[in-house]
Amino acid sequence: MNKDAQMRATINKKLIETGEQERLKELLRAKLIKCGWKDQLKAHCKNVIKEKGLEHITCSNFDDLVAEITPKGRALVPRLCEEGTFSKNKNFPCSVCQPLR
Amino acid sequence: MKMEEMSLSGLDNSKLEAIAHEIYTDLVEDACLGLCFEVHRAVKCGYFFLDDTDPDSMKDFEIVDQPGVDIFGQVYNQWKNKECVCPNCSRSIAASRFAPHLEKCLGMGRNSSRIANRRIASSNNMNKSESDQEDNDDINDNDWFYGSEKKAKKRKSDKNPNSPRRSKSLKHKNGELSSNSDPFKYSNSTGINYETLGPEELRTLLTTQCGVISEHTKKMCTRSLRCPQHTDEQRRTVRVYFLGPSAPLPEAEGSVENDSFDVAESQALMSRLQWDGSSDLSPSDSASSKTSENGWGVGTNNSESRKTKKKKPHLSLVGAAPGLSSNKKKKPKPPAPPTPSIYDDIN
Repeated sequence: MNKDAQMRATINKKLIETGEQERLKELLRAKLIKCGWKDQLKAHCKNVIKEKGLEHITCSNFDDLVAEITPKGRALVPRLCEEGTFSKNKNFPCSVCQPLR
Repeated sequence: MKMEEMSLSGLDNSKLEAIAHEIYTDLVEDACLGLCFEVHRAVKCGYFFLDDTDPDSMKDFEIVDQPGVDIFGQVYNQWKNKECVCPNCSRSIAASRFAPHLEKCLGMGRNSSRIANRRIASSNNMNKSESDQEDNDDINDNDWFYGSEKKAKKRKSDKNPNSPRRSKSLKHKNGELSSNSDPFKYSNSTGINYETLGPEELRTLLTTQCGVISEHTKKMCTRSLRCPQHTDEQRRTVRVYFLGPSAPLPEAEGSVENDSFDVAESQALMSRLQWDGSSDLSPSDSASSKTSENGWGVGTNNSESRKTKKKKPHLSLVGAAPGLSSNKKKKPKPPAPPTPSIYDDIN
């Protein structure tokens, strides 16, 4: 377990260091906007806010909102985007490891 | 370094997938969080619901799905049968034709200005070439005819390019219709207002242009000296008529009639041509000068003088010969004797 954790930590570190994390983030964001995920989720947000009331949202904790939205968001991601990002994610650890070898 | 080596060895496909999945999840959560931040801020600032319309407006602009009406609820053929009254010309015009009619009626659209400009340009072209020539005359002869400028200008504006008059005169030309319409006006004045056209002008004219006077219109041909529509005879006749029998003849003529002259004399003829013709109205040519006198101010006597001219072409030539030889000696003095005599004739 320790090894895995260490490995993950290393990989994460590498991700951030090389700037790959940023790049992947931007890529995913662009993809999600393109496929309409963002608009869908926003509409969902509107519904939630209408239900709960505007003041409630502003006054209450931000985390509530996050907790409501995140699972829906995760569910809404279209398959294509998922797969595309996946492959890129796979490439990264390999590219990290090879120079080390 | 050891740690990394260990991580390398532990790397197999399933683990790779797990790692990839983790990275992916992190990314998605990050995206969601980003959106939440945006929404929360929008709610706090109050612009979250701005792009929504209120329910009342939603009802007003609902999509209409009835027959005979478009999705906005408007009827299709509403303006087809309607007629409008033009405020300018007070005519009743069909609605669909109203806009173009108004454009032409008021003279304010793009098209109407284009048409007007074209009309102006074409009328200007007609007038411009005339004015160029006439202006020269007027400048020279201001002291004679103060009002001539005004009159001339009036005449120009009167002469409409499309008027039937113009076409009539064009028809009567010696077959020269298209190119020579402008100078004809000028040459008309040559016949009628001969005073405005000084002898110098006339001489220059005759050295550059054919100058043969058309019987029908009494106008001078403004084509080149070798214009195919008139013979050299005619040209010579005209020159003799205007400038006296010893007038400088067009070059072609001179070369043709070398038979009667010596070579030296023909050369003298050429040199005379350059000076603008020392038309010696010497006393020996009094007979011809009389006839030219008759035809001077008025165009009507042209036919008479021409008849007489036709009888005596050779005579005039022969008469010219001694004149020429005498000219050799008199070269420096030519301008003085002829000009006063011509003006005498006018007066």
